[in-house]
Amino acid sequence: MGRLIALVVALALAQGSLRVENLAGAPVDPLAMAKPVKAIVFLFTSTDCPISNRYAPDLRRLATLFAPQGVIFRLVYPNPAEDAAAIRTHLVDFAYAGATEALRDPKHALVKFTGATITPEAAIYAGGRVQYRGRIDNRFVDFGVDRPAATEHDLHDAIAAILAGKPVAHPETQAVGCYIADFAR
Amino acid sequence: MKRLVCVAFVVAAAQGRPEGLRYETPLMNAGLSFASVAQPVRAARTVTYATEVAPLVQDRCAMCHHAGGSAPFSLTTYAETKRHAAQIAEVTRRRFMPPWKADPSDGPFVGQHPLSEAEIQLLRDWADAGAPEGDPHDAPPPRRWAEGWQLGTPDLVITLAQPYTLPPDGTDLFRIFAIPIPADRVRFVRGVEFRPGNPKVVHHANIRVDPTAASRRLDEADPAPGYDGVIARSAGYPDGHFLGWTPGQMSPLLPPDLSWRLEPHTDLVVELHMQPSGKPEAVAPSIGFYFSDTPPTRTPAMLRLGRQSIDIPAGEPHYTITDSFTLPVDAEVEAVQPHAHYRARDVRGLATLPDGTTKRLIDIADWDFRWQHVYRFVTPVKLPKGTTLSMQYVYDNSPSNPRNPQVPPLRARWGQRSSDEMGDLWIQVLTRDDHDLDVLSRAFRPKVAAEDVLGYEAEIERHPDDLGLHDSVAMLYLELGRHEPAIVHFRRSSALAPQSPQTHYNLGTALTLARRLDEAAASFREALRLDPSYANAHNNLGNVLLAQGKNDEAIHEFREVVRLQPDSEAAKKNLATALQRVR
Repeated sequence: MGRLIALVVALALAQGSLRVENLAGAPVDPLAMAKPVKAIVFLFTSTDCPISNRYAPDLRRLATLFAPQGVIFRLVYPNPAEDAAAIRTHLVDFAYAGATEALRDPKHALVKFTGATITPEAAIYAGGRVQYRGRIDNRFVDFGVDRPAATEHDLHDAIAAILAGKPVAHPETQAVGCYIADFAR
Repeated sequence: MKRLVCVAFVVAAAQGRPEGLRYETPLMNAGLSFASVAQPVRAARTVTYATEVAPLVQDRCAMCHHAGGSAPFSLTTYAETKRHAAQIAEVTRRRFMPPWKADPSDGPFVGQHPLSEAEIQLLRDWADAGAPEGDPHDAPPPRRWAEGWQLGTPDLVITLAQPYTLPPDGTDLFRIFAIPIPADRVRFVRGVEFRPGNPKVVHHANIRVDPTAASRRLDEADPAPGYDGVIARSAGYPDGHFLGWTPGQMSPLLPPDLSWRLEPHTDLVVELHMQPSGKPEAVAPSIGFYFSDTPPTRTPAMLRLGRQSIDIPAGEPHYTITDSFTLPVDAEVEAVQPHAHYRARDVRGLATLPDGTTKRLIDIADWDFRWQHVYRFVTPVKLPKGTTLSMQYVYDNSPSNPRNPQVPPLRARWGQRSSDEMGDLWIQVLTRDDHDLDVLSRAFRPKVAAEDVLGYEAEIERHPDDLGLHDSVAMLYLELGRHEPAIVHFRRSSALAPQSPQTHYNLGTALTLARRLDEAAASFREALRLDPSYANAHNNLGNVLLAQGKNDEAIHEFREVVRLQPDSEAAKKNLATALQRVR
């Protein structure tokens, strides 16, 4: 809980100064949202992280499911080595194009703002604060240990709670995947 | 009794198969039928890529993690390694990488690349220090990895006629492909190299050979390349040899005297374990064969310990199976391969020598279905006659086993599907000579057949109308001398396919062996009513009639065989024998 309060403080400081890049290389505010949007789901990903990529179909389904309810999905590429061309190819290969926006975060501004450490990891921004950060679901337990199917759908349930105006049951969960720290080097 | 032994012999002779009766169903397949460099951490100095990390990663990781290798990314340069530094530290700490599930104190096995605790700490220190490069001049020269075939240019390469398209999502997927091997004569195989084609999604391959058309038919019945289901019983390991592939594992070329015999018109059966990547993936593995000019002079024996009576209650966290076999001859263990599915947790194999000392063959405390290595001993383990080989596997069918394929857990029985369970320890041994091999095979065969019967019965409970299962298990019962259950299953086959003369013929043969001669004669007559030109049925009916003292009728049947098969010496001989008896 203390962590969430800290996040809110960080938000207050960062508001207006948080900048990432769109695929044209222009700085954009990742928190900007038009009036009908109720929540932004950031999905930290990487073009060659196998676990991130295995979630592509699940993420497309979630994006399609919640789009009519004012939820937008933004893929965030924190690896500075992944340029716009590589990301465009990735979006096409994994059929993200059209379902999600894509942002580059080479300086890890959004990484720090949300506290994400892993790809794939999700963060939900709604009501002026980060209300969820963590795994998409519990399918991957550890490296080399995964369930045949997820039994807890954390991201889905968090979005549903926020849309219903309820508190998120588990606002922080541990994701399993590739380390964003490695991309900073 | 004597008369019946005679009957059985004549039947065999008439078919030209001296070793026993002939049945109109596929024979059991061969495989089932027998059947550090520790670098101390110097805390005073920063660990760098050039001096410490590069040599370690080159030696233990890069054999898979190089361009074109079996791993999903390369670790051959500083830039590549740096951007995985934290990941490397974490996966090595958890011993997920390098993938080696066996207790490192056993073996030593071929291809074993364990990291010491000091080496793991070194990788952690390097990541924590920010993955510094150090002086590039200190780094070892980049290692070159042979591109393409690792065993050299193959004598024959086969691949899928068209690639299989793996769907983008879902859990692990298994698909079986029957690939014809275009060998127009007998070849002697020294090596089989598997190239996954798409290493990002192909996790491992089970490889068998099928001398029958059974696997091909299953493959052809599915419009897409390959088929879902289980490997046909007729597809097995070649005599005494392992086949298969896991990332990083390369089966070495065999010495020419240990090659295995590949018959013409054999199909290679490849079961691919694939993990979807998030997008559709084309999968087309290729397999290279390396032949020897000369036939083998030695054949290993493939022993299989394990239970097909596995029946794990839902929720059971600690279910144990054990099995053992005592060697009737001296033998050398060349390699072992444990096999189990997702619920197995603890997998052990042991040899207990006659003097009571023990030698651990394999010990895996955290079994992972995804790493189905063949563990080859660097130095074969010599075991004297009287050594007991044993295995013990423990299964967790509770909800706290995250790999449990069923949520909530269900009762799990033996079966080849990944949602079922298995528990086998394959042990490849070499005997001193062919005589010892024969002694070993004769001692081992009944044990494995008795176990296979249990597996078939479990499968028949799931598929009570599968003719092939009934035929196969009936043949196993006959092999075990258990005529009555064989009759039950052949009778079931004849009820399932009453228009098939073969089913009545098989039933008649089993009834003959059980000395139920009147019923046997009736079954052969039914087979002949459906197919009057069925020479084998005439022959076996003749033998039954002879045993019943109906000599004239018997001679009539044997004359029919000669008429139908005028070129058959055996047929003429049977007729002559019968005529002699009448005189």
